[in-house]
Amino acid sequence: MPLSRRDFLKASAAAAALAAATGGRLGATEVEAAEGGIRWGKAPCRFCGTGCGVLVGVSNGKIVATKGDPAAPVNKGLNCIKGYFLSKVLYGKDRLTKPLIRKGNRMVEASWAEEMELIASKFKESITKHGPDSVAIFGSGQWTVFEGYAAAKLFKGGIGTNNIEPNARFCMASAVTGFMTTFASDEPMGCYDDLDLGDTYFLWGANMAECHPVLFSRLIDNRLKNPNVKIIDFGTRHTRTSQMADKYIRFNPQTDLALLNGIAHIIVRDKLYDENFIKKHVVFKKGKTNIGYGLEDKFKFADDPKPLTFDEYREFLKPYTPEYVAKLSGVPAKTIEEVAKLYADKSRKVNSLWTMGFNQHVRGTWVNNLVYNVHLLTGKICKPGENPMSLTGQPSACGTAREVGTFTHRLPADMVVTNPEHRAKAAEIWGVDVKKIPEKPTYHATEMFRALDRGDIKVLWVQVTNPFQSAPNLSRYRKGARKGDGRFVIVSDIYPTRSTELADVILPSASWVEKEGFFGNAERRGQQWFKMVDPPGEARNDLWQLMELARRLGHGKLFPYKYPEKEMFEEYRRFTGGGKDLAPYDAYVKARGLRWPYVNGKETLWRYAEGHDPYVKTGEGVKFYKNKANDGRAVIWARPYEPAAEVPDRQYPFWLCTGRVLEHWHTGTMTGRVPELKRAYGAAVCELHPEDAKKLGIKQGGKVKLTSRRGSIVLTADLRGRGKAEKGNVFVAFFDENKLINELCIDAYCPISGEPDYKKCAVKVEKA
Amino acid sequence: MSEREQNGNSGCTRRQFLKGGVGVPLAMALAGGMVTVPFLKRADARGFYLRPPGAVDEKRFLGACIRCGKCVNVCPYDSIKLAGPDAGVSIGTPVIRPREEPCYLCPDLPCARACPSGALDSGLQEIEKVRMGTAVIVDRENCLSLRGLRCEVCYSNCPLIDKAITIEARHNERTGVHSIMEPVIHREKCVGCGICEKTCVREKPVIVVQKTPPKLEDHYEF
Repeated sequence: MPLSRRDFLKASAAAAALAAATGGRLGATEVEAAEGGIRWGKAPCRFCGTGCGVLVGVSNGKIVATKGDPAAPVNKGLNCIKGYFLSKVLYGKDRLTKPLIRKGNRMVEASWAEEMELIASKFKESITKHGPDSVAIFGSGQWTVFEGYAAAKLFKGGIGTNNIEPNARFCMASAVTGFMTTFASDEPMGCYDDLDLGDTYFLWGANMAECHPVLFSRLIDNRLKNPNVKIIDFGTRHTRTSQMADKYIRFNPQTDLALLNGIAHIIVRDKLYDENFIKKHVVFKKGKTNIGYGLEDKFKFADDPKPLTFDEYREFLKPYTPEYVAKLSGVPAKTIEEVAKLYADKSRKVNSLWTMGFNQHVRGTWVNNLVYNVHLLTGKICKPGENPMSLTGQPSACGTAREVGTFTHRLPADMVVTNPEHRAKAAEIWGVDVKKIPEKPTYHATEMFRALDRGDIKVLWVQVTNPFQSAPNLSRYRKGARKGDGRFVIVSDIYPTRSTELADVILPSASWVEKEGFFGNAERRGQQWFKMVDPPGEARNDLWQLMELARRLGHGKLFPYKYPEKEMFEEYRRFTGGGKDLAPYDAYVKARGLRWPYVNGKETLWRYAEGHDPYVKTGEGVKFYKNKANDGRAVIWARPYEPAAEVPDRQYPFWLCTGRVLEHWHTGTMTGRVPELKRAYGAAVCELHPEDAKKLGIKQGGKVKLTSRRGSIVLTADLRGRGKAEKGNVFVAFFDENKLINELCIDAYCPISGEPDYKKCAVKVEKA
Repeated sequence: MSEREQNGNSGCTRRQFLKGGVGVPLAMALAGGMVTVPFLKRADARGFYLRPPGAVDEKRFLGACIRCGKCVNVCPYDSIKLAGPDAGVSIGTPVIRPREEPCYLCPDLPCARACPSGALDSGLQEIEKVRMGTAVIVDRENCLSLRGLRCEVCYSNCPLIDKAITIEARHNERTGVHSIMEPVIHREKCVGCGICEKTCVREKPVIVVQKTPPKLEDHYEF
C-alpha cells in the first residue's frame, strides 16, 4: 500500500487534473487516475475532529490506498499516522458481515428481514407496554449528518421521544453548553487560520501533539516562522505537547477554575481590560453555585441566571488573588501574574485552545465560560488570529452530533425542544403534528445508561459507537445491559466490540466510504464524500437501517426520498440560516469543505466579526447577534472554583486521568485492526511518577494494580514514557479493549452539560 | 508473511527448554540453525550482532561467552535469542532481533546480572549506560515523519524519549503552513535497545540499530 513519493506526486497530479476537468467534482465513480487503474475520490479522514482531507484510491471494488489530499485546506496533503493507515481500518479480518441474533450465549446468523422484524417488534412491544420513552438510540459524533438527522427525525418526530443521545455527550457537551451560555450559539467564532495568524497560544487540557497532530504541526510552524510566538501549555500531565511548548504550567487537577478566575482577577485589578469592548459587547451574570455532581440517578439541575454589574463581578473576583490561587493550584503567584499580563498584552494576538481537560470536567460548562471571560475582558475575540477555540475529538461531533439535533434537548441548528417555536418549526419541516415532539428532554447519555440499568429504558439501539467500553463507571452499565427483564440491546458496528458482546442483536454496518457521507469538523467546515466501495458481505448503511426501522414502525412517510442523502441534507438546510447557513449540497460536492455560515456563495472564517460574517453590519465591529436575549452581547459569567466530585484521600490517594495516544483512536476498534499501529502501541499502560513508583516498590515494566471505589485493573507500569505523570497522578489510555480503565472512572458529570469527568477520580496504586 | 515467519523461528529461545541446563542451548542452536539462515544473513547485513545489554567488546565477548543461555532464560520478554551455526564462531551466543522483540531495558538488567562469565557486565546498574548499538534512520526517503506526516512513532516509544531521540521541527516548504517533525537520534544517549526499530510502522523499518561507530579523535573542545 505505501506509495513512493513519485507515485504520490503523480497520483495527486492526476487527481488535481481531473478535479479541474470535472469542475472539482471528485466522486470515486468519476475520477480515473492515469495509472494503475486506481480511481481516487475525496473524503474527510474517519478519525478525529480535525477533518483532514484524504484521497481514497479504489481498485477492483476495494480501497487499495489513501493519501492526504494536497488540495484540502485543513491538511494540505498531510496526515497523522492513523490517517496514513486509513486504507486498512475497514479490512480487519473479523469484520462483521452478517446480521446476528442472540440465542442464549451464542450469536447466530439471521437475515436482515428477520432481524429488522425482530427489532421493530421489540420497539412496538415496548412502546405499547411502557410508552415511547422506553425506547432509545445512542449514536455518535461519527454518524454522518444524514444518519444523525434521520435518527433525530425518527425518534423525535416519529416515535415521539427525546430518547436520543450521541457519544458526543461524553466528549463535547461542555463545549456546547459553554458556547450556548456565553454566546447563545454553538461552535467557535474562529477557525484553523488562527493557528497561523496569532502569536500567543494557551493550551488548556489539550494534548494537541498527539490528539490533533496535523493542527499541532501547523501551530509549531507558526512559531518557526515567527520567533515571537509563544505556546504555553497548562496541564496536569507532562505530555509531548508540554515538551514542545515554550512553557509548561503544571496545576493541580480541577484548579483550572481558580486559575482562570485568578487571571481575570489580575486583569480587572490592574485595569488591563478593554473597557470599550466590555461596554459594547458584554453583560455580566451569575448562576447557581454548589451545583452538585450528578452522582445520584435522575439528578436534575436548572441554573438560575441573575444579572450582575461590572462592580459586582469585580467583587466576585476579589478572593482569587494570585496568592490564593497559587495555594490551590500549585502554580506560583508570579507565574499567574505573568500569564494574566500575557493574556492582556495589547501587542499580542492571544488564542486559547482546549479539549477534553476542559470538557470532561464536573464543572465543564463553567471552565468553558471562564476562558471566554478572559477573552471577552480583553476583547481578544472574533479577530483573525485572536480567538478562543474548542478543538473536537470526533469527525462529526460538530457537523452531526451538535448541529442536527441528536441530543435529548436539541432540535436541528441550535434549536431546542423546550422552545414551542422551535418545536413548531421542526414539526412543519418534518411534516408531523407538533404534539408529536415532546417538550421535555429525557435522559442525557449517562442517565440513559442508568435508565437502561434500572429498566426504565427497555430497548436501546447503539450506532457507530462503543459505549460499553467508553462509558464511565462502566461495570454498572455493562451489567445493566444484560439484566434481562425485557431489556433488548441492538448494536450496529463494523467489528466485534465490547458493546456488541452485550447485544441481543448485532447489525453489520457500512463505514466511511462504503456509503455516501458528510462530516462537519471543529472549524465549522462541512465535508461531503461519495460512496466508493461496497460494504463487505451483507453489511448495510446505518442510514438504511434507520429508515428500514422507520418503515416497519409505520413512520416510512418521514423518509420519502429518492436520493436520501442529498434530499435529507436539503431538508436539513431549511432549519439553518440566520448565522448557521449551510451551502447547497452540490457546493460541498465540489469543494474541499466549506465553513458556515455560507452566504451568497461565500464561507465565513470568523463569526460575529465585521467584514467576515455577513450578519454583522458595517460599523458594528463585533456583534454577538445570536444572543438576542442579551441584546447581541456575550455573557461574562461569575463561576467560582468548586472541588472535583472525588478527590484523593488516605484510602485512594492518587488522581486517575484517562485519555488518548497518537497511534489509537477512541476505543481502538478501528486502529486496533491495523497491525502496524498495534505493533507501535499494543496495550494500555499506567503512567506513574518515578518517585511514587519507588515508594510503592514498582519498577519500570512491572505490574501495577489500580483500584477505585468502582473497580480495579492490573497494568504494566510506565515511568519513562511519552507522557509523564505528575506526582500523585496516574494516567491510562482508554483505547485498549482488554483493559477497561473506564470501570474505574466515576460517573460524576457537569450538572449543566451532563458530560462526565473522565479526568479525575481517586485511585489506590499498588504493586501487583 | 510476518517477519518472524520469514526469518524462521528456531525455537531455541524457548525458556522451558533452557531450564534443562548448559549444553542444551548449544544443541538447540545447532539444530535450530538449519532453519535460521535468513536471520543470520540479516544480522550480517546489520553489520554486527546486537548483543544483550552490558556486552563487552565483541572480540572479548566471543571469548568470554560460554553459551550457557542464562541471559536468554531470565529475559522476561523473550527478546534474547541464540545464534545458530551459520554464525560461525558466534554460534550459541545471545543476540537480539529488534523487529521480533527489542530489549525493553529492564531497570535491574536481569540478563547482565545473570551472566556468569563476564561476557555481559554484571555490574552494569543504569540503563542509560547500556551501549548495545545506535539507532540510525537508514532510509530517509521512506520515513513518514521526514515527509511531513505526524508519525514520530520511534520517538514516542523511545524509552529515553527527549534524550536519545528528540524532535526537531522545521518548516514544510511544500505545504507552507506545517512543520516537519524530524526525529533526531543522539548517539551519545542512544542505548541501541531497538524499540524504535520494532515500532517503525513501515514494512521495512526505516530506523534500525547499527554498530556504534568509534569516536574519531580530534582536538576540538566542543
